[in-house]
Amino acid sequence: MDMILQPFMRSLETGSVYALAALGIIIVWRTSLVMHFAQGSMGMFGATAVAFVFNRAGAPLWISVLAGVGVAVFLGFGVDFAIIRRLKRATAVGKEIITLGLIMVFLGLAPIIFGTDPMLLPRFIKSGDLNIGSAAISYNGILNIAIGVAVAAVLFLVLQKTKIGLAIRATASNESTARLMGIPTRSVTLFAWALAGVLGMLAGVMIAPSVTVTPTFMNTVQVSALFACVLGGFQTFYGPVIGAYIIAVASNFLKLYVSSVWGDQLMYVMILVFLLFRPNGLIGRTYMQKV
Amino acid sequence: MNPTLKNIQAGAILKNAHVQFIIFGVILCFLPAIAASGAMKSSTLSTLAFVLIYSIVSIGLNLLLGYSGLVSLGTAGFMGLGAYLAAYFVENLNLSFWLAILAALVVPTIIGVGVGIVSLRVRSIYLAIATLCISEILLKTFEQLEWFTNGTAGKQSHFPVIFGVQTDRAGMFIVIVVALVLIMMLTHNVVHGQLGRALHAMRSSEVAAQAMGVNILKYKLVAFALATMYAGLAGALYLFFLKSSYPSTWNLFLSLNVIAMVVVGGLRSIFGTIAGCFIIVAIPELVLKKLPVIGDINGLPYIFSGVLIVVVIMFFPQGLKGLADLIVVAFRRKGKKQTADELVKSAD
Amino acid sequence: MADTIKQDGRPEALRIENLSIGFGGLKALDDLSFMVYEKEIFGLIGPNGAGKTTVFNCITQFYKPDSGNVFFRVENARLPKKEKKTDSGGDGADGMVNLVGRPVHSIIKLGLVRTFQNVEIIPELSLIDNVLIGAHVDFKSNMFDQAFRLPRARREEKIYHEKALEAMRFLGIDDKKDELAGGQPYGVLKKIEMTRTLMSNPRLIILDEPAAGLNDVETEELAEIIRRIREQYQCTILLVEHDMRLVMNICDRICAISFGKFLAMGSPEEIQKNTLVQEAYLGEKEDE
Repeated sequence: MDMILQPFMRSLETGSVYALAALGIIIVWRTSLVMHFAQGSMGMFGATAVAFVFNRAGAPLWISVLAGVGVAVFLGFGVDFAIIRRLKRATAVGKEIITLGLIMVFLGLAPIIFGTDPMLLPRFIKSGDLNIGSAAISYNGILNIAIGVAVAAVLFLVLQKTKIGLAIRATASNESTARLMGIPTRSVTLFAWALAGVLGMLAGVMIAPSVTVTPTFMNTVQVSALFACVLGGFQTFYGPVIGAYIIAVASNFLKLYVSSVWGDQLMYVMILVFLLFRPNGLIGRTYMQKV
Repeated sequence: MNPTLKNIQAGAILKNAHVQFIIFGVILCFLPAIAASGAMKSSTLSTLAFVLIYSIVSIGLNLLLGYSGLVSLGTAGFMGLGAYLAAYFVENLNLSFWLAILAALVVPTIIGVGVGIVSLRVRSIYLAIATLCISEILLKTFEQLEWFTNGTAGKQSHFPVIFGVQTDRAGMFIVIVVALVLIMMLTHNVVHGQLGRALHAMRSSEVAAQAMGVNILKYKLVAFALATMYAGLAGALYLFFLKSSYPSTWNLFLSLNVIAMVVVGGLRSIFGTIAGCFIIVAIPELVLKKLPVIGDINGLPYIFSGVLIVVVIMFFPQGLKGLADLIVVAFRRKGKKQTADELVKSAD
Repeated sequence: MADTIKQDGRPEALRIENLSIGFGGLKALDDLSFMVYEKEIFGLIGPNGAGKTTVFNCITQFYKPDSGNVFFRVENARLPKKEKKTDSGGDGADGMVNLVGRPVHSIIKLGLVRTFQNVEIIPELSLIDNVLIGAHVDFKSNMFDQAFRLPRARREEKIYHEKALEAMRFLGIDDKKDELAGGQPYGVLKKIEMTRTLMSNPRLIILDEPAAGLNDVETEELAEIIRRIREQYQCTILLVEHDMRLVMNICDRICAISFGKFLAMGSPEEIQKNTLVQEAYLGEKEDE
């Protein structure tokens, strides 16, 4: 077995998962200026819904995922509509704490609604490996990588080329100016929260086959996605995606070649040290605060 | 001395914050006796002890959140570190209770300051992410570093010997009360002196505070260091009261719960924070669990804390403290300039 | 740069040299230079958007200028330990130091203090506590002293308490010292902010539109206060102001700028007669 290419392909697979979750965090951050700590637990909730429909109702996987999209969009809309947009007076910290509170709500709700038994989700493509030299990667792994790359690519195209994308970018750069220019910023943030929910759910469905679906199964994804944003910088949409892949690769190789137990922890420390030297992330710029 | 003058003096003494803290502590010290008499369940005493332990942590986090507007997600990790250090010092190294407490105060603080220096230079929000990561690292350490923590099997300890006296459960309860009262007094002093004014200035406007010579990074670090130190102390007290510590205790949800305690209690209020702790710790334990049907649901305390966070920030941004202020204002409308409206305004 | 004494023999307090700063391609200040004498009341005027507040922010280091220098006269004793000149002159001597690149919070220690356009007061604290923040950098007692209320901390608190009371008496707000700052009338808030600047033994006070939001009577009183502060505390005052009557009334010299560029400099009379200044302000009138 190839000891470089094999783990590298594996890393691309987890990187895609982290990238989707990170995209959800960054799109909320850019449009609502809220650090979306509940991204992982909302994704968990969506993915658990998928597992529930698949396991308990016996629906085909793709129908279950569609149902999951529905749940995620509903959650995203709900959170923005019922809570975030009513927080005009709350500070940025207040909003962040709300997302922290939401983690607990989703975590408590999931077992009540979907039951306490851990559930399994199968791969999209049940079996089969593709051999590249001495390395092998499952077809499902390739599909996951493809989904990650495709979603990111489509999202960038939408952001750069379409009217909706322009509205999002305008809201991201200056919310109040965008509103004055007639951009429906409320719809933009609503869309952003729903999209974040769907991305989180997708990330959950992609990682689920290698773990079991429990209320905490997205914790690592959430932490990694947050770090991807820190590493890539909060100023661009593509920075966190790059950060996500770097983190996945680093984590896999550290686990393989340095310490299988402490690999992730080592990487966390390395990111903190990295912050010392490049506080704004890889793609970040410094910004001047208006007084 | 005529009686009215005496009354006035008594009133003035009661208004002294330190006197209030001591009276509060003295009242609490009767609780073990009440429990021993059978008027209160023994398990209730434990729950109340945890309320007091978490009060120490929350008062610390309240300094951080209330004055610097920063969130720490590492509270549980630092508490756990305090607990394991205390256990290691007393059980493995056979050192005294005091050295154990000292270690639980110092080591987490040093780690905290290091993390703070790295993360606070950029944007405030990085502290939350950096502490989240430290918390993950510490949790892994608790699980894996068996010579230190005894791993997932859990670390066992005993009631400590303090000043040559072997404590028991009631004794430890009183130790916790004393520690809490001391923390309340110190915190009160800190926020009412020059340091407190600097913290207030920073909270009100970082720009203006800097113009007055307040080094923002330094004071954010100070607030974070105090929060970490209190967490370490509370962790040690937790260990000596429960006589054991398991890695699974020190997870993210404990950190989130502490945030809920601070938010519910109200920012920058010492008694408010303690009330917040009571609500978050004791209500699920003493009330929710006993409810029919829904009491059996496992995730209920989580939902309770989470919903409280959301509701309080949305509708009562000043928490219990704000609620208490509103009631006081409603009761004495004697030409006081501060109206309910202003109180709400100053909440943002 | 060497210590220069100007033609009429008065030493300079502040010298701005070729200051430039841009925000996203827009030049807010363009090669601006001017100089303020010691113990002078100096006005900085200009139409809206001329960059007056940007000048202030560059002096106090909230903005780091793209190029240029800000020299400020500092007593040797006030300098940070590393910079103190021990070899010549001793503690009494003073010299010009460049402020550019220093941390914002270190500026007040050098003797330069400012107020803000939108009064920055802490509503939850009493008036005297608000004033005491002005003495923040002078406190020597550490956190430990304060947490345990050791004698050292208490003694220090008492000394500065007295000092704050004296300054409040000077501006006539000592009778309200224990009232909360929140809910006080605007005029009182402005006075708190002025009193607070006095706590740091300032050598130069920068006032950002002190008359904004004040009525005619209060503006008169303000003019008087500014003059008295200069006499009593022997300091230089630099103010940005929109209220022309106040500027013309109290300033010894005025510098006019427009679109970040130097326009004119002179006595109030000279500035009033200056056609460039008139045009700059007329242009603004037409826009409105």
